[in-house]
Amino acid sequence: MRSVKIPVAAAAVAALVLAGCGTTSDKTSGAAPGASKSCKGADGKYTIGMSQANVAEPYRQRMDDDIKTAAKDVPQFDVKFADAAQDNAKQVADVENYITQQIDLLIISPNEAKPLTAVVKKAYDKGIPVIVLDRKVEGDAYTGFIGGDNVQIGREAGKYIAEKLLPQGGNVVELKGLAGATPQAERHEGFVEGIKGNPKVKVIASASGDWLREKGQAQMDALLKANPKIDVVFSHNDPMAEGAYLAAKAVGREKQMKFTGIDALPIPSGGIKAVEQGRLAATFTYPTNGKEAVAAAKKILVDCGTIEKTQTLPTRIIDASNAAKIYAEENPNG
Amino acid sequence: MTDVQDKAVAATPVGQSSAGVAATLFRFQSVFGLIAVFIAAIIFSPRKNGDILFISADNLANVVRAVSEIGIIAVGMTFVILIGGIDLSVGAVLGLAAVGSAVLMVENDWGFLPSVVLVLAIGLVFGALQGIATAMIGIQSFIVTLAGLQIARGLARIWSGGQGVAIAYGDGPNEAPTSFALLGERTFGGLVPIPVIIFAVVAIAAVVFLRISAFSRHLYAVGGNEKAARLSGVPVVRVKIAVFAICGLLASLAGIVHAVQLNQGSPNDGIGYELDAIAAVVIGGTSLAGGRGSVAGTVAGALLLGVLNNILALNNIDSNIQLLIKGLVIVAAAALQRLRPTS
Repeated sequence: MRSVKIPVAAAAVAALVLAGCGTTSDKTSGAAPGASKSCKGADGKYTIGMSQANVAEPYRQRMDDDIKTAAKDVPQFDVKFADAAQDNAKQVADVENYITQQIDLLIISPNEAKPLTAVVKKAYDKGIPVIVLDRKVEGDAYTGFIGGDNVQIGREAGKYIAEKLLPQGGNVVELKGLAGATPQAERHEGFVEGIKGNPKVKVIASASGDWLREKGQAQMDALLKANPKIDVVFSHNDPMAEGAYLAAKAVGREKQMKFTGIDALPIPSGGIKAVEQGRLAATFTYPTNGKEAVAAAKKILVDCGTIEKTQTLPTRIIDASNAAKIYAEENPNG
Repeated sequence: MTDVQDKAVAATPVGQSSAGVAATLFRFQSVFGLIAVFIAAIIFSPRKNGDILFISADNLANVVRAVSEIGIIAVGMTFVILIGGIDLSVGAVLGLAAVGSAVLMVENDWGFLPSVVLVLAIGLVFGALQGIATAMIGIQSFIVTLAGLQIARGLARIWSGGQGVAIAYGDGPNEAPTSFALLGERTFGGLVPIPVIIFAVVAIAAVVFLRISAFSRHLYAVGGNEKAARLSGVPVVRVKIAVFAICGLLASLAGIVHAVQLNQGSPNDGIGYELDAIAAVVIGGTSLAGGRGSVAGTVAGALLLGVLNNILALNNIDSNIQLLIKGLVIVAAAALQRLRPTS
């Protein structure tokens, strides 16, 4: 029986490759990607492929949901979704599969820039318009990028703390995101700029909570023991701020300090609800860009227009004065 | 199934008896499974302008390219499972090797060959150490390689400084040699990706190696009945160490392929790949109890998973439903094993 194994193994590998050699359905298009080629106007039907890095993160699930909701209002659009589950290699395959399906437009929120750059370029070079969300790819082989500005978000948060929460000055602890992550560095940089206006605001300690609620809670436990007087906890995202709140509550100190977060997801477990329910003093929106991506796709495919290469969405301050109103606005169907 | 039994089955002309047919069907269940899934994929493939998208040359090349890393790992995993062991460290070793390739060539400006040789050696030694812990200290391979997984991830994080090391190509400082980039290219008129060729070479080499070397008999003997193997003079300890070393070597080879395909070595590369590799081996008909199975089956198992992933994606099946379907396929493959007649 062994003698049969070699041909079987060889055939198994060769069959797939050779079967492919016989067909010539490969369509390469040399045309430069642009509105003229992909745009068929209002009468066209368009398949859009959305390649998501990881729907296990609530922020990214919300991005998909926003795209789904916005696309409902464009009858010409049929949006497909793929989830790479945080694996760069899987996301490369997802985009390759979209190319095979000959989609009309690609929306991608890359897991990481470098590993996805080549395959995004491949799609773009085939004449598929590409809209990149949240995290960039390298080079300029895409139609447009839509994202938030983390430095600006950090600056707004810093200003809000320096001017609104601690006009008389006070002690701040900073709960940072994952060390080495770009948003973490940028949010920190902006924050330091933002609090400069009020020299009486002092950052007395900082720790990394890796974006996670439970890690934020554990780090806050330690910070509370080490620092008898804390006035504001500035957290790089909402889950860590919620974790810090729990830690303070456990030792009965949650009323002595205020908590701020970033992200402000309009979901029941998100930051806006936390502000509405009084656990957080404020949070700052980090837009999912889903709605804007569909609008940009409509501009390219239906209106035959062009979009800006880089579109940066501003952040919004969410505090007790507007939380309920904005939550309702973001969830029109309840 | 031992070597002797193999030959006994082969000696029965196929088709002479229904038992012979059944035995053959079960023996190559993954190959028939692959053919069945392949045909189903053609039937259910989306079409565009009369073309069946699934069997386009580009797509088939993509399918095999996408499973090439898992396939290379799964070949090594087959060896380990054949002796009744398991290796949970392969995904982490892949990450370590990807980081190693990137750091050596980009940050340390090493040449292509020395980098690859060192990275492969690291995988080999890492695997051998796990083999030593299993064979000589007698810790179960599940535990040893669970610890190995943590250690390899830790080493990868330390070596990379905690984040992905981007690979740029060129002759300047902090650039990887362009010869390395070739590993990620396609050949034969831009159709066949080099990783596919590496996978094919590894698979064929493993099949040939199992066929011509005495090592193969030892492998099946240790997996079939370790005590009996030892008593009949099989160097059990050496066989075990060699098997884990081969598995580590192949995992680091997959890591090099991973790094060149993604232009980056990241300590988070390859998370969960050990499970995909084990799935390929199980679908391939190799018994987790050891002593029974084949590399050819594993190759077919890996390709089956690849075709399945591809056709589900081409039809835009919801990613959560995809997980359910893949889980059911693995259970079905394992269930078929239970039905297999023991000759």
